[in-house]
Amino acid sequence: MGGRTDELEDRSLRPLTGEFWAAVNRDELVRPVCNDCGQSFFVPQFACPHCQSTNWDYQPSSGRGRVYSHTTVHRPPTPAFTAPYVMADVDVEEGWHLLAWIVDCEPDQVAIDMPVTVKFVTGPDGHRLPAFAPVEASL
Amino acid sequence: MSGAHPLHRVAVVGVAATEMARQLDATSAEVSLRAALAALDDAGLGVADVDGVAARWPGPGGTVFQPGSADWADVFGQPLRWVCDTYPQGVPGALDAAAAVAAGLCETALVFGGQAGIMGGSAVADYTRPDNEFIACWGSLTAAQFALVTQVYRHRHAPDPEQLAAIAAAIRNAGSANPAAVMAGRGPYTAADVLASPMVAEPFRLLDLCLATEGAAAMVITTAERARDLAQPPVAILGGGSEWHRQQYVNPPRYDEVWGLGADAARRAFGLAGLGPHDVDVFELYDINTYEVIRQFEMLGLCAEGEGADYLAEAGIGVDGRHPLNTDGGLLSYSHIGWGGPTLKIVEAVRQLRGTAGPGQVANAETALATGAGAGAQYHNVMLLGRT
Ligand SMILES: [Zn+2]
Repeated sequence: MGGRTDELEDRSLRPLTGEFWAAVNRDELVRPVCNDCGQSFFVPQFACPHCQSTNWDYQPSSGRGRVYSHTTVHRPPTPAFTAPYVMADVDVEEGWHLLAWIVDCEPDQVAIDMPVTVKFVTGPDGHRLPAFAPVEASL
Repeated sequence: MSGAHPLHRVAVVGVAATEMARQLDATSAEVSLRAALAALDDAGLGVADVDGVAARWPGPGGTVFQPGSADWADVFGQPLRWVCDTYPQGVPGALDAAAAVAAGLCETALVFGGQAGIMGGSAVADYTRPDNEFIACWGSLTAAQFALVTQVYRHRHAPDPEQLAAIAAAIRNAGSANPAAVMAGRGPYTAADVLASPMVAEPFRLLDLCLATEGAAAMVITTAERARDLAQPPVAILGGGSEWHRQQYVNPPRYDEVWGLGADAARRAFGLAGLGPHDVDVFELYDINTYEVIRQFEMLGLCAEGEGADYLAEAGIGVDGRHPLNTDGGLLSYSHIGWGGPTLKIVEAVRQLRGTAGPGQVANAETALATGAGAGAQYHNVMLLGRT
């Protein structure tokens, strides 16, 4: 994971989301699953948005999904990011979705409904991040 | 008046916008105060008449506790009867203030805000870089959030890029003719200019996107009774409504959830007014980007989903068109001043209805529509204003 980790904030200490980031640090993807209604949700919230139960836990995700939408950013918000990069809203198969990069392909190859699978990368600040790659490229 | 809807018992009696620029040598609080005093002056009122404030506290700076609208009581040197700190500017602020005045919680409410002294050294405003931990890590920006919605629209409906670029060019040319606009005198722009401008976040090019500039705006709302003896012809609030799909810039906005956002608010607003969208003489729409303009015409039911670009190309959006819009140059070219931006829509709507809007004046405008935020922000609000 590189020698910079010790200089970084320990994201696993964040309230509510620490377990998600701790999993990402191990190159694992998890998502909140409600113990009462069984549904997944994201972003993490103190109560399940489907039934308002506070009884939920992080559970492993397959990391398989499809691109719901995507945009290629050509002008980054800060110089830390190197353009172009593709941001996508990925529908993960357990019924939740998240914003993430699409990596391992040219930006113009990304398409709506494209199957993708999670691919962990290191962001510009040195933290691990759960990006997604086209299913073909990741095999 | 006892049978009237409460919103119909109040009026907008004063509006003001300060100088607008890429950078002003002042603080946000200073320009906000300037706008507030100018709006009171426009109404023929003074600070002593104000007993309600919807403004938040446009810090940093000032001597404050937990900064909010109540801190203006200290600046104005007098107590207040009503304050609002949620979405205090633009349509939500105006509707909250109107409801408070109608309910007798206060008599004269000042709605104001803006920004200044914050753009130095940064190409874009901080508020265009959402800092949520699931957004910021990807190098997201507000334009990219809106782009996620727009890309699904393009995938399904394939609108003509030339028609969309022509909308951006028309709004920018209105700003070019408005001496108060940040982009005054720039242009004229053609659709080709818009299509040749640099890509920011696909499909948005630089000239598709709003400004991030400095200045402040304000409005004064009071009872219809009080309005009768003031300096300006009162402008009526005919109807209004808001929709909050969810908090902005936390979860990515989804086309299937938000493209029609505002339709319910608009139905309620037109229902209160006893009007339909074809009765609107001038549209002051929240033009964060070009696609938001066609989205709102589709949301209003003036054309079907997917047909907004064709529809506006045929209808015309200039002062002589069927649907004159963003007559001051809008957020694209006049100014976008952060939390104060939504109030600019109401300022221009009021000036149109008074007949004092300048080069963008629509002849005999009697009904104006002002809107705020948009689908990438996952909330939308509308307000109908009318000449009295
Ligand atoms: Zn649940």
